[in-house]
Amino acid sequence: MEPLIQFRNLEKSYDAGGSKFFVLRRINLAIQQGEFVTIMGPSGAGKSTLLSIIGMLDSAWAGEYFFLGEAVHQLNTKKRNELHKANIGFVFQSYHLIDNLTVFENLEVPLSYKNVPHKERVSLVCDALDRFHIVGKKDLFPNQLSGGQQQLVGVARAVILHPKLLLADEPTGNLHSAQGDEIMQLFKKLNDAGTTIIQVTHSERNAAYGNRIVQLKDGWVVNESAAATVQSA
Amino acid sequence: MDTIRQDVRYALRMLWKHRFATFVCAGALALGMGANTAIFSMAEAFLLHPVPLDEVNRLVAVVDSKPHQNIETTSIATATYLEWQEQARSFDRLGAYSWDGVNFTGDGTPQKIQDFRVTTNFFTTLGVQPHLGRDFLPEEGEPGRNQELILSYGLWERRYAADPKILGKVVKVDGKPFTIVGVMGKGFDFPVSAEAWLPMAFDAKQRVDRDHRPLWVLGHLKPGVSFEQANAEMLTIAQHQAAAFPDAYKDWQLRVMPLGEFATGDLTRQYTLLLLGAVGFVLLIACADVANVQFARVSGRQKELAVRAAMGATRTRIVRQLLIESVMLSLFGAALGIFLAQWILSVILSHMPPDIARYIAGWKSIHLDFGAFLFTFAVALASGLLSGIAPSLMSSRTNISETLKESGRGASSGRARHRLRSALVVAEVSLSLVLLVGAGLLVKGFNALLIVNQQYHPETLLTLNLNLPELQYPQKSARATFHDRLLPSLSSIPQVQSVALATTVPYGNGGGTGADRFLIEGRPVEQREESRTAIMETVSPSYFAVMSIGLRDGRVFTDSDGDGAQPVAVISRSLASRYFAGENPLGKKVQVPASKLETWLTVVGIVDDVRYNWIQKDALPTLYRPYRQNPTYYTTVVLRTDGDTAKFTSAVRSKIAALDPDLPIYEVKPLNQVITESIVGISYVAAMMAGIGIIALVLASVGVYGVMSYSVSERTHEMGIRMAMGASHGAINRLVVGNGMLLTGIGIAIGLPLAFGLARALSSLLFGVSAADPFAFIGLPLILGVVAFLASYLPARRAVRIDPLTALRYE
Repeated sequence: MEPLIQFRNLEKSYDAGGSKFFVLRRINLAIQQGEFVTIMGPSGAGKSTLLSIIGMLDSAWAGEYFFLGEAVHQLNTKKRNELHKANIGFVFQSYHLIDNLTVFENLEVPLSYKNVPHKERVSLVCDALDRFHIVGKKDLFPNQLSGGQQQLVGVARAVILHPKLLLADEPTGNLHSAQGDEIMQLFKKLNDAGTTIIQVTHSERNAAYGNRIVQLKDGWVVNESAAATVQSA
Repeated sequence: MDTIRQDVRYALRMLWKHRFATFVCAGALALGMGANTAIFSMAEAFLLHPVPLDEVNRLVAVVDSKPHQNIETTSIATATYLEWQEQARSFDRLGAYSWDGVNFTGDGTPQKIQDFRVTTNFFTTLGVQPHLGRDFLPEEGEPGRNQELILSYGLWERRYAADPKILGKVVKVDGKPFTIVGVMGKGFDFPVSAEAWLPMAFDAKQRVDRDHRPLWVLGHLKPGVSFEQANAEMLTIAQHQAAAFPDAYKDWQLRVMPLGEFATGDLTRQYTLLLLGAVGFVLLIACADVANVQFARVSGRQKELAVRAAMGATRTRIVRQLLIESVMLSLFGAALGIFLAQWILSVILSHMPPDIARYIAGWKSIHLDFGAFLFTFAVALASGLLSGIAPSLMSSRTNISETLKESGRGASSGRARHRLRSALVVAEVSLSLVLLVGAGLLVKGFNALLIVNQQYHPETLLTLNLNLPELQYPQKSARATFHDRLLPSLSSIPQVQSVALATTVPYGNGGGTGADRFLIEGRPVEQREESRTAIMETVSPSYFAVMSIGLRDGRVFTDSDGDGAQPVAVISRSLASRYFAGENPLGKKVQVPASKLETWLTVVGIVDDVRYNWIQKDALPTLYRPYRQNPTYYTTVVLRTDGDTAKFTSAVRSKIAALDPDLPIYEVKPLNQVITESIVGISYVAAMMAGIGIIALVLASVGVYGVMSYSVSERTHEMGIRMAMGASHGAINRLVVGNGMLLTGIGIAIGLPLAFGLARALSSLLFGVSAADPFAFIGLPLILGVVAFLASYLPARRAVRIDPLTALRYE
C-alpha cells in the first residue's frame, strides 16, 4: 500500500553567520495510513520542525516529501495549501483557540476557510459539539473554559473535516494527567476509526498510545521502534 | 458573501474589544475625512456647480486675454461681439451682458441695485426662463425701446414682498420709468450677485466701437459641436478681425472657456485646489497614524493569524480579513467625519458676510449632498485600504510554524515592520512640516495685509457710496455742485474731523479696480498699445490728508483746481517710476481717452502708493484727478471720525437726504470693515490652512508618540537588560527620545525642501509672503521638533519606570 507520508533525504537548515545550522538531517521516513506515530527526542532535536513540515506549514526545506504519492516538494504554495486543507488537522500544546471567537465560531474557522456553505457548516459544527459532548459550551469564549475543555475544542476543531492525518504537538503538555489521559483516549479512538495520527511528545505514557516511536536527536532520526503497549479505552 | 459577513462580524468585535485604539484611530480619520469632505463640498460647489444652470456643460464664455501682461480674462468690445454673432457657426445662441448698477426710486426707499445689462437673448442662451412673466422680446434690444426689466427672485421677495401682481408695475430706475416684465426663479442669480436684468441696446456709435470693452459674451454650443471645435472657429474669426483692425486687436488673444470655469475664476480655483491638496495631506498623515496603530494591533495578533493559517486560511483570506477590519474602522471614522464636515461647513457658511457671499459663484450651493457622501465613502474605502494594506501584508507573511511554537515570538518580520513604521513617521513629519509652513506663510501674508492698511487708521473712517442718476445729473456742473454742497454739509456733523471724496477707496468694491489706458504727451504713437494703464481716481483735495497718503513731490489738489483752471493730475510713485523712469514727471502731460475729452492733464504732484486689494503683490499705478474738473456719477464718501463710526450713520443719511431725498446711499461701513470683507476670502483660506496645519501637527505628534510608545513596549526586555547592566534613567531617556528625535529630524530634513517649493509658489501669489521667511523655516520646524520631543518623552518616562526584574521575566 502507498504510504501516507514519505520523506527522502529531507533536510532543513538556517544560515548562521556564513555557515549552515542544520535542524533536520537526511530524514528518510515512511508513515502508513492508519498509523499512530510518536516523535520523541530532547529539546532542540527538530521534532516540532518536522511536524510543521509534515503539516505543510513550513516550506523552506530540501529533499523529497510525498503525501499520498503526491510530490509536495514540487507543489506551489497554493497547491500545498489545498492539500493541507483537504487532509490535515492540527492540535497544539497551547490549544491556540482564537480568544475572541466562541467555541462554536472556533469550530467554524477551518470550515469557512474551506468555503463550506453556511448550512453545512452549522450542521458539521453541531455534529462535532455533540460528538465531543461540548454542546453546552458552544457560546462560551476560550477564557471561560478549563485547559482540558479548551484542548477538547482544539481536537474537535482539528478533526471537524475528518482529516486523513491529525498532527499533535505536545497535546497534553499543558494539562494535568487526568485531562491528558482523556485527550489521549480520544486520539486512540480517532486512530481506531482510521485517522492517521502523528504526535510530538516527551511523555512515554502518551507515546504508549501510539504504535510506533521515531526518535530524533540533533536533527537526525536515531531510532525507530514499536511503541510499548497500545491501550484501548 | 457568507464568509465576508463573518469577517465583518469579527472585525466589529475586534474594534469593540480594542475600543480605545478604535476611537483614537477613528478620531484621527474623522479629522482627515471631515476636513476632506468639507473642502470637497466647497470644491464641488465652486468648481462643479458654480452656476445654477442645467446646461452649464454646453455653455462657454468667450473672453479676451493678454498673457504677456498677465491679463487672463477680460471683456470684449461691442463691434467684436456683433461680428461674432454674424460669423460664428458653433453656437446656436450667443448672448452678452455687462456690469451695471442702478438706483431704484419712486416706490419706496431709494435703493442701489446690482443689475446687469443683457442682450435680449441672454436668458435663452443660458437655457432659463422667468419664474413669473416673460423673457425680453427681440425688439426690446433697440435703443429707446429698452424700458423693461426682470427682477431676481430675491429682490422680488425683499423689495416687493413677493407681490404676485408685480408684472406690469412701473419703477423708476435712475429716474427713468421701467416696466417689470418678469421675475426669475429662486436661486438664479447669474451673473453672480445679480438682482435685476435690464435689456441692452446698442446705438450706432456703440455698434462700431472696438476700444471699449464692456461685454462678457456667453455662447451655447450647437448640438454635436465640441468645445474644441468652437474654440478653433472663434480663433479663426479673431485672426480675421485682427488682420482687419490690427490696432484694436494687437496682442489680444481670444479664449473660449467653459462657463463653470469662467464663473469660478482663477483665484478661487487656485485656492480651492490648494486647500484640497492640504486636506489630502492631512488625510495621508491620518492614514499613516492609523497604519501605525494597525501595525501595533496585528503584531499582537500574530498567534491568532498563524492559527488561522494552520486551519487553512490562505494569505489572501488573512489579508482580506485585516483589510475588512481597517475599512470598518475607516467607515466609522467617515461617519464621525461627516458630522465634523457638517460642523465645519456651518462655521464657514455662518461667518461669511452676506455682502461678500453673494459675489462668490457657487457659494449658495455649498452643502453636504449625495456627492459628498459618495466622496466620503470612497475616501473611507481608500483610507481603509491605504492604512491597512501594509500591516496586513506584513502580518500575513509571518512564519507560522515559528509563531505557533511554544514561546515562539513570531518576530521574523519585526525589523521590516519597524523600518516601515519609522518610515511612516518620517513621512508624517515631512508632510506636516509642509502644511505648517504653508499655513504659517498664509497667516503671515494675511497679517501683512492688515498691517499695511493700519497707516490710515481705517477703523475711524466711515465710507459710503453714492451713485448720481444720469437723468438728474446730466451735466458735469450739476454733479460738481452736488459734491460742493455735500462736503461742507457732512463736515458740519459734530465730531466729523474731515470729509473726502474718491471714486474708489482701497479695498472698496471687493478690491475690484478698473484700470484705464492713458497717454503721455510726446510718446510715440506706436507705443500706445502697450499696457500704459492706471487706476483712475477722482478725488477731493482733502482725500490725501484723510487717507494719510504722503506727498512725495510737487503738490496735491487745492480748491482752486476747478473747472476753469488748468487741468491737473497727481500720480502715484509706482506710476512715476514705471512710466517716467529717469525723468521728472512734474509738468509732464497725460491724457485719459476713456474720459472722452481731448484734454491734456498736467502732472502737478507725486504721492505715495496705496494698496487697493490683496490680489496684486505690487502697487498699482494710480492717476488722481480733482473732482471739480472731472465730477463722476459714482462716488465714495470718506469721513474721518473721532472713533465710533456707527453713531454717524443716521446723521450722514439725513444730511444727504436734505440734499437729494431720492438718492440712495449704500455700503455704509467703516473702512476697516470694507477691508476685512474684501480680504475675507483669503482670511478664510488662511484660517483653514492654520486649522489644517494644527491638525497636521497633532496627528504627526500622535504618530511619533504611537511609534515610540510601541517601540518601548516591544523593547521592554531590552530595557530591562540595559538597566540591569547599569544604564541610568538618563541613558534610557536619551535612547527613546533620541530615537524619536532622529525620526523627526529626518522628517524635517525631507520636509524643508518641499516646504520651500510651496513657499516659493505662495510668495508669487500673495503679498507679504517671503519664500525665505525665518519664522517658517526656523520657527515652525522648531515647534514641530518640540512637539515631537514631548511625544517621545512621554514613552521615555514610561521606559525609565520599567522594573528590570519584571522586564527580564517578560516573555
